[in-house]
Amino acid sequence: MRAESKGMTHTAATAVEAPFAVSVRDVNMVFDGVHAVRDASFDLEKGRFLTILGPSGSGKTTLLRMIAGFGQPTSGEVFINGLAVGSVPPHKRSIGMVFQKLALFPHLTAAENVAFPLRMRRFDARTIPDRVHRYLDLVKLGKLGDRRIHELSGGQQQRVAIARALVFEPDLLLLDEPLAALDRKLREEMQLEFRRIQRELDVTTINVTHDQREALVVSDEIIVMDHGRIQQKARPEATYRQPKNAFVANFIGVTNFVDGVVANVDGERIVFGHAGFAGRSGNGFRPATGVSARGALRAEQIRIGGGREALGDVDTVFGGIVTDAIFEGERVVYEVAVADLGGTTLRVFDHDPVTHSQHDVGSSVALGWNVKDVLVFGD
Amino acid sequence: MRPSRTSYPLSWRLMDAVEAIAAAVWPRSFSAAVPWLMLMPAVVLVGLLVLGLWDMADGSFRKLDTATFLPSDDYSLANYDRAFTEKLFFTVASRSLIGSLIVTVITLVFAFPYSYVMVRTRSTFLRKFLLIALFLPFFIGQVVRAYGWLIILGSQGMVNEALGFVGVAPIRLLYNYPAVLFGLVQYMLPFAVLMLAPALTAIPEEMESAAGSLGANWVRTFIHVVLPLAKPGFIGAGLVVMTLSLTDFAIPAILGGGSQDFIANAIYDQFFRTSDQGMGATLALLLVAVGSIMVGVVFALFGAGTLAMGRSK
Repeated sequence: MRAESKGMTHTAATAVEAPFAVSVRDVNMVFDGVHAVRDASFDLEKGRFLTILGPSGSGKTTLLRMIAGFGQPTSGEVFINGLAVGSVPPHKRSIGMVFQKLALFPHLTAAENVAFPLRMRRFDARTIPDRVHRYLDLVKLGKLGDRRIHELSGGQQQRVAIARALVFEPDLLLLDEPLAALDRKLREEMQLEFRRIQRELDVTTINVTHDQREALVVSDEIIVMDHGRIQQKARPEATYRQPKNAFVANFIGVTNFVDGVVANVDGERIVFGHAGFAGRSGNGFRPATGVSARGALRAEQIRIGGGREALGDVDTVFGGIVTDAIFEGERVVYEVAVADLGGTTLRVFDHDPVTHSQHDVGSSVALGWNVKDVLVFGD
Repeated sequence: MRPSRTSYPLSWRLMDAVEAIAAAVWPRSFSAAVPWLMLMPAVVLVGLLVLGLWDMADGSFRKLDTATFLPSDDYSLANYDRAFTEKLFFTVASRSLIGSLIVTVITLVFAFPYSYVMVRTRSTFLRKFLLIALFLPFFIGQVVRAYGWLIILGSQGMVNEALGFVGVAPIRLLYNYPAVLFGLVQYMLPFAVLMLAPALTAIPEEMESAAGSLGANWVRTFIHVVLPLAKPGFIGAGLVVMTLSLTDFAIPAILGGGSQDFIANAIYDQFFRTSDQGMGATLALLLVAVGSIMVGVVFALFGAGTLAMGRSK
C-alpha cells in the first residue's frame, strides 16, 4: 500500500481505504542525529479530539509539527483526508494551529489577527468582517475586536489564537501546548473552552500536552508517547484503567510500583516478590517463574486505616509505618513504608472525610487493596 | 558558623575591600546621585560639542574679508546668502542628499537578507562566517578600503584587466557618481546589518510559522508579518546609514576624485583650501540642520518608540 502510494501524490489511488481525517504511517523523524519520532502510526476519525501526551523530549511536538507541515518525516507518510501531504507546504494545508506562545501578531488588533488567515487565503473581502465577528463571538470576545494584542489578558489572547486558527474552517485544528504557560485556574477554564468549541464546530483536533489531567479532561482519545515511540492509543478511561505498560501507568495518575521476581502464575493472577504480593496481568503479560516484574498500584486504590477491620472489603492487607502525611485540602496524601514489601514506600490518597488526617507520622497503619487493582508488567 | 572568609578567592576579598572603601567615601545617602554621576562623562562630551557649535555659529555670521583674509568684525547673513544662491553649493547639497537616499534604500535591501540568514540559520558555522565577513572590513578602515576599490576598479585595475581578456576596452569605473554610491553602500552595509539583526532576532520564529499555517506563503509572510515587526530595525538602520552617508567625506573624496564632492568635502575645502572659515561654518551648520530635520521628521512620522526604546508595556 505504502509503496504504491509513493510518487502518486495527486491521484485518488493514494487514498487510504477509510477516509480518516489524519493517518500517520510508519513515520520516523531524525534530525541532528536525534531519533525524535520512531515508527509512529495511527489513524484519527473525523471530528475527534485527540491528545498526544508525553514528557518533554518524547517527540510529541515533532509529530505534531510534521502533521502541520513544518518538517518532513525522514521516512513514512502523513495522510490528511486520505491524501498524502508529504510535499504540501504548511500554507497550502487546511490546518489551523494554535502555537505554544500563541504567535499572535502584535502589530495587528484582535480582529485583524482573526482576519489574517482569511486575507491570506483570499476569502471574499466583503464576507470577512462578518465572519471575523462570528468567530470572535464564538470565543466570547465579541466586544474586544479593536484591542491590540498587548491590551488583552492571557486568557483573552488564548481566545484570539483559537478564533484565528478556526476562522477559515480548516479540516484540522492543531494545538501545540498553548495552555502550558497559564496558571492552573485559567488553564482548567480554557480546557473546557477548547472542548466546548471543538464540539460546537465538530472540527478534528490534535492537542499536544505534557499535562495528564488536560489529556483526560479534553480528549476523545489519548496517545501516550515516550522516547519517540507511541506507547498507547486509547480512550481516556482506558488509558487510565488499562495502561499498556509501566511507563503509561506511571505517567498518568499517581502510581506505586512494587518490584519483584515472579513466584507463581495462576491464569491472570501473578504472585511475585515479597510476602505473597500479587496482581493481575497487565497487557497480556504472561511471565515464567523467576522473571522480574513490576506491579503498578494507583494511590487512590489503596485504603488506609488504623487496623485491618477499618479497611472494609479488600483481599490484600499489609501493615506499614507512616513516614509523611501531606494535607492537600480535599485529600490527605500519606507515604507509608511497608516492611513486608522490602521497605517500599507506598503513596496513599485518603479522601475519606471520617478518617481524614487521623494518622500521624510514625504511627502504624494497615493498608488494603484488591489484587485486581495491581497491574503487573515486565521490566 | 559561616566558613572562614579566607575560603573565598582573593579576587572576591579584594572586591569586598573596594566595596568597603567605596562605602566609606560615598555614603549610602548619596546613592541617588550615582546614576547622574555615571551620566556625567557623556554630558560633558556632548556639552563640549555644543560649545564648539556655538563658536561655529558665531563664525558663520562673519564674512571673509578678501583684502586681509580675516573674518570681518561685523555680523551679516552674507555666507548664508551665498550658500542658498550659489549653484555649486546647491549641486553639492542635492548630490549628497539624493546620494544618501539612494545609498540608504540599496543598503537596506542588501542588508535585510544578510541579517535574516545570519539570525535564522541553524548552522553555527554559517552564522560565524557571516559575522566575521561583516566585521572584517571594520578592521581595515574607510580610507584603506576606498583605496582598495581604486586598485580593483581603476583603469588598469583588476576589473578592467579581466574585461581586457575578453576583448572589452577599458571602461571608466571610477571618479563618477555610481562609484561613490557603490563605495558608500559597501561601507554602510555592516552598520545596517548590525542594526537590523537585533530587530529580526526579536521576531519569534513561531510568528513566521504561524503566518505559514494561516495561509501565507513566504512573500506574504515577509510583507505582512516580518516587515511590520522589523520596522524599528529598518528605521534605526535607515537613520544611521542616511546620516553617515550624508556626512561622509573619504568615499566621495577618494572614489569621486574631486568631481563628486559631498557636503563634507565642500566644508573641508572652505576650511582648509580657501580658508573661508565663516563659509565652512555656515555649510557645517546647515548640514547639522538638515540632518536634524531628517531625524526629526522620521521620529515625527514613526515615533521614537519605533527604535524599540522605552519601556515595553
